[in-house]
Amino acid sequence: MTFESSPAQPPQGPTPLSPQEFKATAEGILTNVEWVIEGKSHTIKLALAVMLAEGHLLLEDVPGVGKTQLAKALARSVDCSVRRIQFTPDLLPSDVTGVSIFDPEKRDFVFKPGAIFGNLILGDEINRASPKTQSALLECMEERQVTVDGNTYKLRSPFMVIATQNPVEMEGTYPLPEAQRDRFAARLAIGYPDVGAELALLDRREEYNPLDALRPVADADMIVRMIAAARAVHLAPELKRYVVDLVAATRTNAQVRLGASPRATLQLLRCTQVLAAMDGRDFALPDDVQQLAVPVLAHRLIPTTETTMGGGDTKAIVSDILRHVPVVSHPGRF
Amino acid sequence: MNGQRHATLVAAATLALTLTPLIGVFEGLGWTVPVLLTITAVAVAGSLMRAAGRGQGLQTLAMAGALVVVLTAGFNGGTAIALIVPTPATFSHWGELAGEGVQAIIVNAPPVPAEGGILFLTLLGVGVVAVLHDMFVVGLRTPALAGLTLLTMYLVPVSVAPDATAWFWFILPAVAYLWILADDNLRRVSAFGHRFTGAGHLVGQGFPSPLARTARWSAAGFIAVTLAVLAVVPTNTSGLIDNVAEGFSSGENYSLGDVNPWAQLSGSLNRPQEVDVLRVTTTDESPRYLRMHVLDELTNDGFGPNEYEGGADVADLDGPGSDAQVYEAEIENLVMEAPVLPVYGDPVAIEADGDWRVDGDTGVIVGDGTDMGDVGTYRVDYTESVPEPEALADALGMDPGDERWATNTAHPDVPEMADYVAAATEGADTTHEKALAVLDYLSAANGFRYSLETTDAGNDEAVLDFLETREGYCQQYAAAMAWILREADVAARVVIGMSQGTRDGDQWILTSHDYHAWVEVYFQGPGWVPFDPTPASGVPGSVGFPWATEPDVDEAEETTAPAGADDPAEDPSAGPTAPSDASAEAEADPTADPTAQADGGDAGTATRFEPAWLALLLLLGLPFVPALWRAGVRRSRLGPKRLSALTAWEEAADLALDYRIALSPSLTPRQAAGVLAQAAPAAREAAAALGSAMAHHRYSPRGAAVEGLADAVRDLHTELDKAAEPRVRYRAVLWPASLAARLTAGRSGAEADAGPARSLPQRVRSALRRPRRSNSRRERSVTGRP
Repeated sequence: MTFESSPAQPPQGPTPLSPQEFKATAEGILTNVEWVIEGKSHTIKLALAVMLAEGHLLLEDVPGVGKTQLAKALARSVDCSVRRIQFTPDLLPSDVTGVSIFDPEKRDFVFKPGAIFGNLILGDEINRASPKTQSALLECMEERQVTVDGNTYKLRSPFMVIATQNPVEMEGTYPLPEAQRDRFAARLAIGYPDVGAELALLDRREEYNPLDALRPVADADMIVRMIAAARAVHLAPELKRYVVDLVAATRTNAQVRLGASPRATLQLLRCTQVLAAMDGRDFALPDDVQQLAVPVLAHRLIPTTETTMGGGDTKAIVSDILRHVPVVSHPGRF
Repeated sequence: MNGQRHATLVAAATLALTLTPLIGVFEGLGWTVPVLLTITAVAVAGSLMRAAGRGQGLQTLAMAGALVVVLTAGFNGGTAIALIVPTPATFSHWGELAGEGVQAIIVNAPPVPAEGGILFLTLLGVGVVAVLHDMFVVGLRTPALAGLTLLTMYLVPVSVAPDATAWFWFILPAVAYLWILADDNLRRVSAFGHRFTGAGHLVGQGFPSPLARTARWSAAGFIAVTLAVLAVVPTNTSGLIDNVAEGFSSGENYSLGDVNPWAQLSGSLNRPQEVDVLRVTTTDESPRYLRMHVLDELTNDGFGPNEYEGGADVADLDGPGSDAQVYEAEIENLVMEAPVLPVYGDPVAIEADGDWRVDGDTGVIVGDGTDMGDVGTYRVDYTESVPEPEALADALGMDPGDERWATNTAHPDVPEMADYVAAATEGADTTHEKALAVLDYLSAANGFRYSLETTDAGNDEAVLDFLETREGYCQQYAAAMAWILREADVAARVVIGMSQGTRDGDQWILTSHDYHAWVEVYFQGPGWVPFDPTPASGVPGSVGFPWATEPDVDEAEETTAPAGADDPAEDPSAGPTAPSDASAEAEADPTADPTAQADGGDAGTATRFEPAWLALLLLLGLPFVPALWRAGVRRSRLGPKRLSALTAWEEAADLALDYRIALSPSLTPRQAAGVLAQAAPAAREAAAALGSAMAHHRYSPRGAAVEGLADAVRDLHTELDKAAEPRVRYRAVLWPASLAARLTAGRSGAEADAGPARSLPQRVRSALRRPRRSNSRRERSVTGRP
């Protein structure tokens, strides 16, 4: 097992994916995941987009709606190494990153890699971990490398963390600090299934858990190629301007204490590229941006106290911004 | 007084103000009482209904009811119940009255007595307008529309009596309109709350706001400019000053009766609708002119009638004194109302109802308390003297010792006339030569044109205007000839009457367009001999006088006359056989009237340019200018040269604007296309194609294909048009919102272009504005208003 893998770009050897191939592959993954998660195709699509944009995903929702199922289904659909960390208050940073232990036979310290060394990491109930462990994970997410005892170990590529978080049960938890949430490219909520989806879910699970029957439809190499192909999607100057305008609007909005960071701009653009590619296009549209704006931006904003007290939430703020920022910055045109 | 009652008062008062021009139309001021009564009744009825809290429909009904009551009280003809409740008979009576009124309007020249049908029609019109006016000003609160009612009221006197309507009558309607607008605005502002000055001080309810001062001054300026333009632009007949004088003097100067003969003449000739006035059956093969008035008094105001003395009773006429041929005419009066009896030549016997007297000096048959209106059919036996040209050439003019000399040669001292007189009578010695010379001078060959539109050359005397502009009609021709002859010491006077008219079987029909003016010159022996200086082409039923030509030239010109034409020298009654066709007559009988230069006269009338028509056309076309402009913009965008996804999309966006479909700038092209598709479901595909093309154009590195985009826009247009409400549809065509947006965008676009390089003060201002956001939020929460 090697811990040094090549970075995701530039694509070497294999021919770059055409938009049609990209679309077909992405749809294969999506169909696979939808087999497990009923009626949530949009959320699944966004999750996959975040994954292909090399971003990390935060699934925040009440228990039992399928956060872990979604993460697992995504992981199973791609033939790559999947690791799962169940966060608890007594989980140590070294459990995540790995530890050097003394090998009496070799009379030397040997690095035992932690759970973070995988392509897809499922961090369940991340808010139950102590801040120390949380920050170790978050550091890995950002740096894509681990430093233990002075040695730096590169993480695998693709590398993606899907963390879940439960917003209702706050007893004995350490909620992610707002600033830390910025590390996640997007936050998604799954929500309850509608009646039809819930009935279908019952039918399907009568005999077995569909998750067990899931077969991978893509491998890590394919994911790397898809990531590379998505990065080649054309971004028109008007579109970049629109994204910048949107992010800038979160900073000047009266209801927001802290707006989105330039990292948010970057990640929004990359997710936009993926979404465009998943649609079979080689250029991105503002429609793509609008689909992603709430998941990518909302969790990064810190609302003012008045807004919080007034029951406002950051999703509504971003939606409001979407309704007011002109798609093209010329006055009178759209 | 509450606002609505005040507004009612304002509406009534403004309407009354606008009616002041009627002073020029009616005789006296007696008509004001019923008119004001009508306005008051309507206003009170409307106000009472409003006070009772009833809706606009009931208010209008009440006002209409009040109008009916007023009309019934005034014109029931004994058919009403309790004087104010109309019965079906009342309405039929009204119908008769209205017909009578219409006839009277067509026939009579202003000023007319305000009675009978005319008064009924006036009250009815005023009443209806009062109802509408009240509705616009008070009920519907659309005072701008009240301008229409005011204009309607103002246009009536202006169109009926353009001469009698002086320019200054325009002031009062204009002021009235401004009053309505100002009052309504004041009501709106007062309803809103306190009024402030520009400096933020409170202003009391009754005091004018200093802010209004600007508006008031500009309104005053507007009126002043309008009046200045009216004063400069030439008006009918004489200039501004004359019109003012006329406005004041008409209807008072003339003791002979009801109507100023000049005004009746010009009024009749200018009346667009021709009305049959008299029907004549005569033994005369070609009757001459019917004499009505003789104007022998020349003052600075022009020719006017001397006071008729009303001598012998017509019953005492001598009968045929000589062996001259006596013609018998039976004249049926159709609509004429005049204090004189129209007669041919020298009447020898008259049988007419009423009391008629012969004026000794002039031979006018004037009614002694009798009016033509009282006469149905009357008979006249008359002779027509036909002096030989040779006899006239030898005859002397009036002897200066004659007692009539002073009256018939008097003229005002106008030094400028001397040149014209010298030019007109050059080389002429005898009275006959002078008369012919003047006829020559006024002929079309000398540049004179017949025109009912006279222009003002800016002289004090209208006659000088005519001699300078060389344009006029019989009034100017006759007056100028008589004046010049008088200056040349020839006794001459103007006669007003009716021309021959048109033949209708064995009868002659004389219409309101046959009123005419000509000249009589006195010769010792033959007496008063008629001459007609007006070009025959301008006068339907013009008669040529054989003596109005020089005896020696006669032979030479006669040879040029087409064979078969009546020879005027042989036929003493001297008339064209086809008098209905003026130009044919002129060609057939050129010797009869030296002034009848068909080419000059005809060209003058045929090619007359009507600037009013052009103005009307422009006015009618004006509402369609935006539509044409919009169509031009669309064509240019969708033209094959310019067509791109962008222009197609711009057109689609403008269509959305036109059809009131809100497209927020935060919508992406595809979303906007979705909104359009929702508005016009049948054009879903077209809209989607347009949106997709625009998305490609803007965001794809390869741009967008333009195939089918023009058709897509047209589809979208058709479907949007189908789906729109009628009001929106008309507005989209006649006043497209996208045009207005374009106009304002043109301005703001220029500012936006300068955006990145904004001036320093702008940047400072915007920098200062930003931190205030929290303040503005606080204000929002206080006022509860965004």
